[in-house]
Amino acid sequence: MIAGKRILGAAVSAMLMGSVSAYADTIKVGIIGPFSGPFALQGKNFQAGVEAYMALNGKSVKGHDIEIIYRDLPAANPAQSRALAQELVVKEKVQYLGGVYFTPDAMAITPLLSQANTPLVIFNAATSAIVNTSPLVVRTSFTTAQTTNPLGKIAFNEGVKKAITVVSDYGPGVDAENAFRKAFEAAGGQVVEAVRMPMNTTDFSPIMQRVRDSGATGLFAFLPSGPPTLGFVKAFNETGLKKAGIKFYAPGDLTQESDLPALGEAAEGLKTSFHYSVAHDSPENKKFVEAAVKAIGSADQLSFPAVGAYDGMHVIYKMIEATDGKQDAKKAVDAVRGLSWTSPRGPVRIEPETRHITQNIYLREVAKDADGKYINKEIQTFPDQKDPGLATQ
Amino acid sequence: MHIMAQAGTVSAMPDAKSHLWRDAAGIALISACGAAGYWLFPDNLALLTRIVAVALLVLSIDLVVGYCGVATLGQAALFGAGAYAAGIACVNGVTEPMTLIAIGAIAGAAAGLLMGGVMLRAHGLAQLVLSIAIVQLFHEAANKASAYTGGSDGLAGLMVSPLFGLFEFDLWGRTAYLMGLVLLLLVFIALKFVVASPFGMLCRGIKQDPVRIRAMGAFVFPVLLKMFVISGAVAGTGGALAAVSTQVVGLDSVSFELSANALVMLVLGGLGTLYGALIGTVIFMGFEHVVSAFNPFHWMTMVGALLIAVVLAAPGGLTSLVGKVAASRQGKP
Repeated sequence: MIAGKRILGAAVSAMLMGSVSAYADTIKVGIIGPFSGPFALQGKNFQAGVEAYMALNGKSVKGHDIEIIYRDLPAANPAQSRALAQELVVKEKVQYLGGVYFTPDAMAITPLLSQANTPLVIFNAATSAIVNTSPLVVRTSFTTAQTTNPLGKIAFNEGVKKAITVVSDYGPGVDAENAFRKAFEAAGGQVVEAVRMPMNTTDFSPIMQRVRDSGATGLFAFLPSGPPTLGFVKAFNETGLKKAGIKFYAPGDLTQESDLPALGEAAEGLKTSFHYSVAHDSPENKKFVEAAVKAIGSADQLSFPAVGAYDGMHVIYKMIEATDGKQDAKKAVDAVRGLSWTSPRGPVRIEPETRHITQNIYLREVAKDADGKYINKEIQTFPDQKDPGLATQ
Repeated sequence: MHIMAQAGTVSAMPDAKSHLWRDAAGIALISACGAAGYWLFPDNLALLTRIVAVALLVLSIDLVVGYCGVATLGQAALFGAGAYAAGIACVNGVTEPMTLIAIGAIAGAAAGLLMGGVMLRAHGLAQLVLSIAIVQLFHEAANKASAYTGGSDGLAGLMVSPLFGLFEFDLWGRTAYLMGLVLLLLVFIALKFVVASPFGMLCRGIKQDPVRIRAMGAFVFPVLLKMFVISGAVAGTGGALAAVSTQVVGLDSVSFELSANALVMLVLGGLGTLYGALIGTVIFMGFEHVVSAFNPFHWMTMVGALLIAVVLAAPGGLTSLVGKVAASRQGKP
């Protein structure tokens, strides 16, 4: 009799368990990004991407409500990053972590993931090696090597046989230099000189002199976005290198949309390669830009981190769908291996082995649109680009 | 009037025995606060560990600024030296946590010797500028030597073995916090002895009037250099603790920003008491944490408002408030 009751009880509770997803429970997602300080605009783009996705796709998945918890990490600070991630997991009980703008911050979080049983979806941090540090990391942004790689071939095909590289002396700069050199030399060109400038260089005329003296006909440059880029591009024009016919190549970090109003005329005609242009012509992008501009408040502020965040949320939603609200990091990550969809940037896929995003890289040119606003106009597409930084490992 | 004033000075005169009691009570209070933090905030131990590591840095600044009167905005150079030394040692196979802390302390002391040797050649504003130059040089060196330090990507992959072979450095961070707390207490007790010793007194004398100390026949430079080395060892311990608990070392640990922030914490707490360093760190970082979680977008404004309020209301730092309250109590019959 008692045993019968027990079985009945178990059956009832099993039924309740099975239908638990019908009840409104809340799944928390912790987003870490620079929401204040000098990089606040990038954090704002994270937020805009997340809010745009939720506005277009609803705030719940299979009856589970999604709650976003933002945490501010103004500059690269791994100790603080780890503390924030730990607090989000242990105290706030988030099931998913997302965001992360700087590489060292991501590196500080990855050792926690397996114990926390939490996947990390990286919206930006762009050093190849991050995805190797934990099987629970998925990245929806890009790597510097990935966006730079096509430039080597483009430069060579445009008749540049000798090139000089000029980069800011820090991780992404060195990555960009190596990626360009590799691709350019593979195409048959020769890098005659590699210049690494200190991060806070403001006077670029000596560097332009070195470019001129090197005898190169092509210049590859990488600087962190913002004011230095402006000075660099101006120096390139004013020292007469542009007139002398030296061709300028750079990854799209240099001409991100939020910098274009300030760069203005100086940037016109600059060719850069990148995974996303706000001006990308597709219905998905139109919808995204409309929603994201609404979230961020001004069309001039929208740039690439927003699309990383938007696609990151797509991945997180798919993970929640696959696990039906239960915390199972491995199952969640396995569910998005090989996932492919049409993003605002074009067709994308999460590579099953590397968990990094495979996407189109576009060659773009800074030009005026119909309203006289400067945009990155896509002129050539390199489909299905994987991260060459990971392919070699 | 005259007599009362005299009586006041007499009662304020430190006698060794009451000092000992006061310090014992202070240390007991710190341990109690540390333990309370462990029980009250079991979900925030990574933050608390970070506070402990920064507290060591702020203590080390107090030694040179508060006790020797040497202004510095470059103390993170010593913190970073400890962090990178421990990190590099760990990546190369030394994984025992206490050994790593010792390596950090030694590296910090060596960097302190170097930094003191350069900085003490100058005085006043020039000295301050030198300290900034030194931390920038350290920062650039760490950035350039990316083969060893990971550059701006940070030095990752520190696999620290369990403490005493038993306690792992895990997600919850209990081991790291308790280890940090014990380290902080040990360092604090040692520093209490240092600053109360004749050597510590000499440092205070130099702060007040270096010319007079020289006239008394003591050498100023070696005394200050010695304090710099001690301060370096303390900062290096903090850096190594940060490296061991975070398992990543970033360029921020040798940044000017960290140096300046730590100095702000010291001023907030009060110079030249050691307690001020701890109080300032806990209040500053605790407040920062609470408001930045409350409003991740505009919290810096609130931190600025707090600093202005404290500096206007208590120019000598928060510990000076305690002194004022005590003095006003004593003034009453």
